[in-house]
Amino acid sequence: MAGQGRADSRPLSPHLQIWKWHWTMAGSIFHRVSGLGLYGGAFLIGAWLVALATGPEAYAFVEMIAFSLPGQILLFLWSMAVLYHFANGLRHLIWDGPMIGFNPGVASLWSMFNFAFAIIGAAVIWSLASFY
Amino acid sequence: MVQLTLPKGSAPKKGKTWPKPEGKKVKKFKVYRYSPEEGGNPRWDTYFVDMDQCGPMILDVLIYIKNNIDSTLAFRRSCREGVCGSCAMNIGGQNTIACTRGWEEIAGPHITIAPLPHQPVVKDLIPDLTNFYAQHAYVQPFLKTDTPEPEKEWTQTEEERELLDGLYECILCASCSTSCPSYWWNGDKYLGPAALLQAYRWLIDSRDEATGERLDDLEDPFKLYRCHTIMNCAQVCPKGLNPAKAIAKIKHMMVERVA
Repeated sequence: MAGQGRADSRPLSPHLQIWKWHWTMAGSIFHRVSGLGLYGGAFLIGAWLVALATGPEAYAFVEMIAFSLPGQILLFLWSMAVLYHFANGLRHLIWDGPMIGFNPGVASLWSMFNFAFAIIGAAVIWSLASFY
Repeated sequence: MVQLTLPKGSAPKKGKTWPKPEGKKVKKFKVYRYSPEEGGNPRWDTYFVDMDQCGPMILDVLIYIKNNIDSTLAFRRSCREGVCGSCAMNIGGQNTIACTRGWEEIAGPHITIAPLPHQPVVKDLIPDLTNFYAQHAYVQPFLKTDTPEPEKEWTQTEEERELLDGLYECILCASCSTSCPSYWWNGDKYLGPAALLQAYRWLIDSRDEATGERLDDLEDPFKLYRCHTIMNCAQVCPKGLNPAKAIAKIKHMMVERVA
């Protein structure tokens, strides 16, 4: 059963509907979202490797999808997810190990940094990749 | 269980808009209203308050509304100075106590005032905190000892006493627990930041002799480990405490006693 006492007729007070988000809250849910993204991305790597082993036609097919516009967008988002999950994962290690960064102000700044790291990092990697 | 939307019958509808007074500094407030006698869905009532007539805190605004505009508005309050925790509610989208939050601190054209999130509503801004208090009772927030009581008192060094700073100040207003998405989705199984902060307060008390038992009581996939460091608790605490850090320290104690 969800939460407390849905058997009674009293209404449940609004939660997400009214909440003013904190950076740390956004950072937490995007850690999970990017984690799910990586899970899906692992299958894509699998498909790429299988195609590589199967032969030129199969590889050409996967490459065609990867170089299409939706494929490129997906890959860009995926690279962002990798970078975000990496940065935020390190932060979780620092939270859980030496227990540093619990001050709300510091934690918010750190979340902003992780988002910036993912976006700018992915942009840099992609511009380098297109350059070479 | 995660349910992002409100259940049927809980979604607030548009309510009554009260007349706007003359004045230079008139502020608009959207206040959550629900009456068990009337039944039906809750609603957002709109009030206009001339801030030249009213004190600086949100609690002053609520008292002004109750005295001068609409006497049916129900809310809890007592000390009006941040030590009792009664007037905890959601103000401008964040949980805090109404008596220490100034209306000028909240940006935007109007200020929303709602009960603490994801709780059953008794009336208007009054949530039913039975579950919250039961969780506090679960962590047994009192000294537990086996050795015979000393003749005078249980003594503590200054350093041992300092460990309780940042923990004992909790006023049990429930702002933190009801700010936590983990607590929203699993409030029936996860103890929540407030109860866990108190659990830690007794775990590190040098005089307490039930540390092992206390840790046993928390060793559970839900009671302690539903904390995902979302940090809403520390962000909203009106006393500036940090339940997230206390929870991390309990997790450390769990690991250390096995190692």
